[in-house]
Amino acid sequence: MNKVITINLGGNAYQLEEGAYDLLRGYLETAAARLRNNPDQEEILSDIESAIAEKFRQRLSGQKTVVTARDAATALDEMGPVQADAETGGAAQPDGPGRTAEPAAEDPAKPKRLYRIYDGAMVSGVCNGIGAYLNIDPTLVRLAFVLLAVFWGMGLLTYLILVVLVPVARSPEEKAAASGLPPTAQEFIRRAKAGYYEAVKNFQTHRQGRAWGRWFRWHACAGANPWQSPWRGGWAPSATGCRPWVGFAVLALALLSGALTIAWLCALTSLLATGLVFGLALPAGLPTWAAAALLLLIYGTLAGSLKTARWLSWWCHDSSGRPPAGALLAETVVWLLVTLVLLLLAVHSFPELRAAVQAVPGVAHQATDAIQKWWQSR
Amino acid sequence: MNVNEKFSGIRKGLLEFLVLQIIAAEKVYVADILKQLSTTQFATQEGTLYPLLSKMRREELLDYEWQESEAGPPRKYYKLTPKGREQLRDTLQYWMEINDTVKRLGQR
Repeated sequence: MNKVITINLGGNAYQLEEGAYDLLRGYLETAAARLRNNPDQEEILSDIESAIAEKFRQRLSGQKTVVTARDAATALDEMGPVQADAETGGAAQPDGPGRTAEPAAEDPAKPKRLYRIYDGAMVSGVCNGIGAYLNIDPTLVRLAFVLLAVFWGMGLLTYLILVVLVPVARSPEEKAAASGLPPTAQEFIRRAKAGYYEAVKNFQTHRQGRAWGRWFRWHACAGANPWQSPWRGGWAPSATGCRPWVGFAVLALALLSGALTIAWLCALTSLLATGLVFGLALPAGLPTWAAAALLLLIYGTLAGSLKTARWLSWWCHDSSGRPPAGALLAETVVWLLVTLVLLLLAVHSFPELRAAVQAVPGVAHQATDAIQKWWQSR
Repeated sequence: MNVNEKFSGIRKGLLEFLVLQIIAAEKVYVADILKQLSTTQFATQEGTLYPLLSKMRREELLDYEWQESEAGPPRKYYKLTPKGREQLRDTLQYWMEINDTVKRLGQR
């Protein structure tokens, strides 16, 4: 039993087994890549699609309505590889397998390069590209950036710098170089599927849940020490008296920081999309990037003080002078939950916001392209 | 290395000439061209022929028109332009000369 995919070839619908579809897509993508510099690329590809459609038609009948992988393989074999350049192409040897030497583009020792990859990207493809470059799951890279941004603010800066400096992989060759893999069609299909999967899966899967857990435990260990020493002496002795309000304070502060994060995200989005912050125009002469930096500064300052306040509440709670590792974890989890719940509620109750969230990847792509163009034009 | 392999480069170069000759005789579509070539030493495939035809059209040697077919969607029928005919005449002339040379040389 095989899955069937319906496609449009030369204006007619055909039903293909999944294997046949993969083969066809691979063939057409390779053909498109080889004809990249051909001014008539579009036309040749459409001719080739029509020719394939005719071959499929010959293999179908009233009883047989689905093109099998075997049908597709023989049809594509009859088509023969698409020649990059008519000058170098030519007659297939009648008594040979009909394969001429591959064009020089498929150099096996292709160097790896860091690119941004839009296929399956969440924002601007930076994490996707790094994942491909290092051959690891881009979700892990995203997590690393999110955590770096949340705890030290460095992630955001690094991200913005990478957006400006790293080019986008657009051609199949560049996409191949991004992961150091040969630009074969099968590989693209696999990556495209992986990218799609990447884009649709959410944060509730077990694997990601475990990854979050690992990251937080790691952070809890690494982050605890620098925070302990400066506050230990002054606060620990007087801490016992403030216990009753600690629970409320932590919750209120977490709510406040969650709301602050959302407000900051909204402000940044509206700034990038419309040039206005909550309906207010920027002061004259202030460029957008400066406004974004200012917003980041304000957010950082407010979030920093709130964070300190939350830490102090925990300090009050535990008079031993040592914050329990669980407290650090719980504190972060509370903050994340509050942010997530607020975000979900907001998205749920305002249709405009939902539309805006869905438009984020597109807007982000445009924005990052604009930033990069501006950078290169200097 | 057999003769077939030795002549693969020459066949490649001659394919354009033969396509001109086939199209000169009558208006044809791609499957006709492939069929006529299939029984010769110049058998080829769509993957090669479409890029070649598109290049020849860019060089204004040939042109095409759409024609309805009894079975299936309309097809592109190719025909030569005046420039294509001229090129065919020149190539044919040159080919005869080469042929003469091959026959003549070495004969006493």
